[in-house]
Amino acid sequence: MGEIKLKLERITKRRLIRQNEDMEEITVLKDISVEIKPKEVFAVVGPSGSGKSTLLRLLNRLEDLSDGSIFLDGQNIKDMDVIALRRKVALVFQVPILFDGTVERNILFSLKIREEPNLEGVAEKYINLVGLKRNLLSRNSNELSVGQKQRISIARALTSEPEVLLMDEPTSALDPTATHNIESLILDLKSKIGLTIVFVTHDIEQAKRVGERGMVLVNGEKIEEGEIPYLLENPQNSITQEFIKGILT
Amino acid sequence: MTQNFYHVLISLALVAVALGISWYEKIRVEKDIAIGTLRAFIQLVAIGYALEFIFDLNKLWLILLTILVMVMAGAHTAGSRTKTLVPGVRISAFSIGVGTFFTLGSMLILGIITIDPKYVIPLGGMIIGNSMNASALALERIDSEVKNKKAEIEQALALGATACQALSRSYKITVRASMIPTLNLMKVVGLVQLPGAMTGMILAGASPLSAVLIQIIVIYMLISAVTITAVITTRIAQRGYFTKAHQLVERMV
Repeated sequence: MGEIKLKLERITKRRLIRQNEDMEEITVLKDISVEIKPKEVFAVVGPSGSGKSTLLRLLNRLEDLSDGSIFLDGQNIKDMDVIALRRKVALVFQVPILFDGTVERNILFSLKIREEPNLEGVAEKYINLVGLKRNLLSRNSNELSVGQKQRISIARALTSEPEVLLMDEPTSALDPTATHNIESLILDLKSKIGLTIVFVTHDIEQAKRVGERGMVLVNGEKIEEGEIPYLLENPQNSITQEFIKGILT
Repeated sequence: MTQNFYHVLISLALVAVALGISWYEKIRVEKDIAIGTLRAFIQLVAIGYALEFIFDLNKLWLILLTILVMVMAGAHTAGSRTKTLVPGVRISAFSIGVGTFFTLGSMLILGIITIDPKYVIPLGGMIIGNSMNASALALERIDSEVKNKKAEIEQALALGATACQALSRSYKITVRASMIPTLNLMKVVGLVQLPGAMTGMILAGASPLSAVLIQIIVIYMLISAVTITAVITTRIAQRGYFTKAHQLVERMV
């Protein structure tokens, strides 16, 4: 079990959506199985609407599965205390949402809600870790650029010392420089603190730059899985080939 | 001076003024005014007779039943007003009920009033009316808070906050917003408006000073009932938006 951090076993997610006046059930993810090793950077690649974000939400239990199971270190996440799970498996959203107040308040959020007694130096440590200056700590969170906000949201997710970091298109709202910085940060986090990182992207080049292994997800189905860049340079499946050529977006 | 049905008939002239303005200005509320006029007459005459009967009988069970019926009517108005995810009528009934019975009960225990329908029912009516507004405002506000701040709430949940922690700011905003009418009343009472209880007593011939004393008690009683109702409504309603696993319910996702 030590060799597998996260194991997704035949997971399916169905969801009710409103179609005009009626409720209709759609399948967002279909029968997906995948194993993610400790300390690897795993890329979930696919066009928009393929269920990538939903997959991350299931791993953090912001939503529950319809069928199948997810295991963290061999334990079914359904049997874990959900709050404890979310501290071990942190999620960074596509668009950074900072709470009102200072940057420091944001970084310390998860520690303050569980009333950690000793917070001295913690905010400084994490703002350094994401490559920002400590004088930002006293700034109001809404004064930051989007790139800075995304880094602060990563710092905030790291304070509970998670074992897995889920990142949902963390650079989609950013300019090329900020994107580059976040990508370097992802690689840094892997080497500095040995995090297992699962990141979602629709950008094949980014998956190649950052990912070690990954899977291609189209219309809620896993098309293929493998080592990166091999997976994305020599796709076996015609759907993956279409996606890479830009036919599927 | 004692009013009779003849005076009521004459006061209809004022309704005619309203009808005339509506017709002349093409506001087209003549039908609403006509129905409202008739409805107010029927409802108030009916309640007048009902109160006469209750006051004459002076039985505890009948007083309690009357208050209960008023609570249910208030809860129905408060809870069915908004289309929310939560069972508004039941939540309002419980929270208005607790606020009302606690406040009235305290007043009885503290010896401020006695178990006499002429105190309990009008005071109960005031409590229920104000609590109804607080409950309706709370239901509506918590619904819009959750809908408008969904991303922020999910962000807090994803960071390991409980549903209660993720909603703590919205909870405070909701309770405060639903208490605003009563808080405003406390600020301006006597300066801008002479409230109902006091006006009624003065019209009935009581001395302004004794009317004032009753009115002060009424205000204190209202703030207690409204606070209790607002807090309970919001606390129960907010639970309806989350699953036991601290997730937003699927329809909100």
